[in-house]
Amino acid sequence: MLGVALAASGLVLAPLSFNNPGFAEGESLLIRAERVIVRPGVELENQSILVQDGVIVAIGEGLAPPDGAREINGAVVCAGFVDPWSALGLDAGAARDSSASAATRSADGVDRWSHAHHLEDALRAGVTSLRVQGGGGAVISGYGSMMRVDPSLGGDDALLLDAANMGATIGLPRGGRTRDIFDRVSEVDRLIGQIESGRKYRESAVEYKYELEEWQKEIEEKEKELEKDFKKAKKDREKDKEKAEEKGKEFKEKKYKEDKKPRKPKYDEDSEAMARVADGEVPLVVQSHRYEELRSLLEKTESYDRLRVLVAGGTEALLHADELQARGVPVIVWPNPMGPARGDEYDGHELSLAASLDEAGVEVLIGSGGSDTSRELRFLAALAVSHGLDPDAALNAITLGAANAFDVGDRIGSVERGKDADLLVLDGDPLDTTARIRFVVSQGRVVVEH
Amino acid sequence: MIAHILTAFALFGVADDKIVVEAGRIITQSGPDIVDGVIVIEDGRITEIGPADDVDKPWDAPVIGGPDYTAMPGFVEAHTSRGLDRPNESLDVAPFLDVRDSIDPVAFYFEDCLRWGITTVNVQQGNNCIIGARGMIVRPVGLTVEEMMVRPQHGLKLSASPKSGKSRSTQAQGMRRAFDELRRYLEDLVQQKKDGDDFARREALHQGRDLEGEKAEGREMGGTAWKVDGLDMVPRGEIDEKQEPLLELIEGRYNAYFYCSSPMDVPRALEIARDNGFLAKTTLVLHERCWKAADLIAEAGVPVVLDGDQMHIERDPLTGKEIETFVPGVFKDKGIRFALSSDNTDTHSLWFQASLAIGFGLDAKTAMDAVTQTPAEILGLGKEVGSLEEGKLGNVVLFSGDPMSITSWVEHVVIEGEEVYDRSKDVRNTHLLEGTKPPGSTSAEDAEEAAKKEADDEDDED
Repeated sequence: MLGVALAASGLVLAPLSFNNPGFAEGESLLIRAERVIVRPGVELENQSILVQDGVIVAIGEGLAPPDGAREINGAVVCAGFVDPWSALGLDAGAARDSSASAATRSADGVDRWSHAHHLEDALRAGVTSLRVQGGGGAVISGYGSMMRVDPSLGGDDALLLDAANMGATIGLPRGGRTRDIFDRVSEVDRLIGQIESGRKYRESAVEYKYELEEWQKEIEEKEKELEKDFKKAKKDREKDKEKAEEKGKEFKEKKYKEDKKPRKPKYDEDSEAMARVADGEVPLVVQSHRYEELRSLLEKTESYDRLRVLVAGGTEALLHADELQARGVPVIVWPNPMGPARGDEYDGHELSLAASLDEAGVEVLIGSGGSDTSRELRFLAALAVSHGLDPDAALNAITLGAANAFDVGDRIGSVERGKDADLLVLDGDPLDTTARIRFVVSQGRVVVEH
Repeated sequence: MIAHILTAFALFGVADDKIVVEAGRIITQSGPDIVDGVIVIEDGRITEIGPADDVDKPWDAPVIGGPDYTAMPGFVEAHTSRGLDRPNESLDVAPFLDVRDSIDPVAFYFEDCLRWGITTVNVQQGNNCIIGARGMIVRPVGLTVEEMMVRPQHGLKLSASPKSGKSRSTQAQGMRRAFDELRRYLEDLVQQKKDGDDFARREALHQGRDLEGEKAEGREMGGTAWKVDGLDMVPRGEIDEKQEPLLELIEGRYNAYFYCSSPMDVPRALEIARDNGFLAKTTLVLHERCWKAADLIAEAGVPVVLDGDQMHIERDPLTGKEIETFVPGVFKDKGIRFALSSDNTDTHSLWFQASLAIGFGLDAKTAMDAVTQTPAEILGLGKEVGSLEEGKLGNVVLFSGDPMSITSWVEHVVIEGEEVYDRSKDVRNTHLLEGTKPPGSTSAEDAEEAAKKEADDEDDED
């Protein structure tokens, strides 16, 4: 037997099953806590949280546990963390992809088999959901997705929102080479060109719809008329035929003319995707760092009043703080503890960036920088707090703020009735990195316990 | 357009040939072994098989074999891209191409097939594609593709793993786009037809004549997944031949051979096959690491061809411990039908692959089935090849001893009643075993003499 296991038994990784429904159906859970952080800035004392079928059904004092409910007691409860900028779970090729276009889905690049241990780590560190963005090598990176972290979920079951955003990268080194300013700024033009073609695409689709309706109405009337006149037309034809015969000429049918049917615009998946962006259906996350391209980006997107732009990175975003604030453009900051470790990428190495932007009134989110290190999220937020960021803003940046930015704020991000039960039970404040996370609950299931 | 050419099962025009194969042991694969057995093959098919005493041997048939031999059904290669002039295409989606135009009948691979006792080969385009060409089942003999042909236009190759220059995301995008484009194309086609008919009706009304009812002869769209209504209005001849093979795939006329190089490719492949209604016709061609998706494969009920190694070795990312998994064992435990393939890193005969699997602990019956009956069923040739029974094709391999013994050789191969390989006449094999001899020499002594002469010549030059 060569000392070989016949079946797979030795794997330390969590086994993956696609039969898992993902939420705790028919199960209930009662969590009692001294302090419940409903949302950043709103707290309740000595409350019970009742969870059924994966959803929070009640929050109140002294709730009685239903029969068979599991009971958990803890000091602090808050919402599970949401990483708004991650690549955890993505196949390496999909993450770096330079062949991506607007219609490419990051969700298609998710390899939860190879990343089970990373997912497990992130979950233990309290991150229950994250946004994955692939296509890092392309100017237009395609759709990013909101995913649940729970490694027991299969790829598609883990999807919270498939098309959570459109991704773009501007001015980043490509193929390991640094870029000059013209090169970098020209990428803004490419992005705007795509947005514009998306806008035009939708415009022509709407035009076509109306033109077609008009044409159909016209043709309908014409048909009625033709049917009404058919008997007469038949008689005329007979007469004409006779006449032609008498004269020995060839009989010719009357010419029929009508307005041409409007041409259907050619379907294009990338334009379709960019149309959704131009219309504000999906937010646009632009990973960009430097003053010049940010200025160009803000200038050139101004005329698109439905466009929802977010900046990821934004090392020099502070120079545009007023405009970012006025336009309501959030910045996803990566307070990289390593400093400018990745050379020319200008990662947010100034650890006070989040605090300064917040102070200037810019909405700040905190992410792990599009890598697989989502498990550091809580430390990154704490790092920003230690460099001056308001603690509530920091908590918002990794919970409700992140959920709202990507349109899943009605499902996750806070501890409220009707929301998915993605909860953390901690020994102390969530941003106190010495406070232990005792329980992690994902969709009502206790997935981590210490 | 599928030309359902039923192949004439006779080689080289020898129509009414007979042959008798004798063996000390016949492994039938479908039933118990036969001791001192005889197989009678007439017109390419087995007409009688059984113990020597029970079988009437035709007096006028040549006899091969004898009591020292073991007979087996010819091996069936479930999927390979060898034997092609160029296995991969540069086009992403090219179902309108055909490997028929690329098969090289004099490729060494086909010669090796005979040495290895492989008598049926499913040739499919290489895996570096999104949707590849139409494949073909051949026997490894003949000087033209037509002579080799067993089933033309058999199967389409699809790949869920990225073609070079693509990522998994853009690969999935490309797969979906191909079917989406087909749907849009068909819808437009039907709409154009409707618009044309409507216009003709109005024109006739205007001209005061009755419309002559000419019904277009089309066929409704078949298949179980999605349908474009009104396709019966369009004659099939009007459908673009570049789009037609995919339409026929959806309608269940092709087998799909879907390549996956990573477990994450498996759910994507199954999704595409399900969404487009060809799951029941799908065979997954798998790299060894795909055993991790075995539960999904079992649930989908599709058979697999093991394209990779039998033993999957990986290092646990946390402990650094090496983990070995015997892949066919996993598939067997999950009740998944699998065929072994000789198209992997330790490229060897199917017979070697089966022995290897047995060495790793698989039971002999399953291992031998995985190179005979199972691939035959996957190819839809379950009634033709894969076992030795009356009525099946006369594809027989004669081994010098037990097929699973390392000292046994393939001595004779019979395909459809024709002896196509005899080891004693295998020149390359002889050269390999007895050393290289100068061209034209006939024996070892000749060679020695020639070598001596050559050495002398060299001396003279000095």
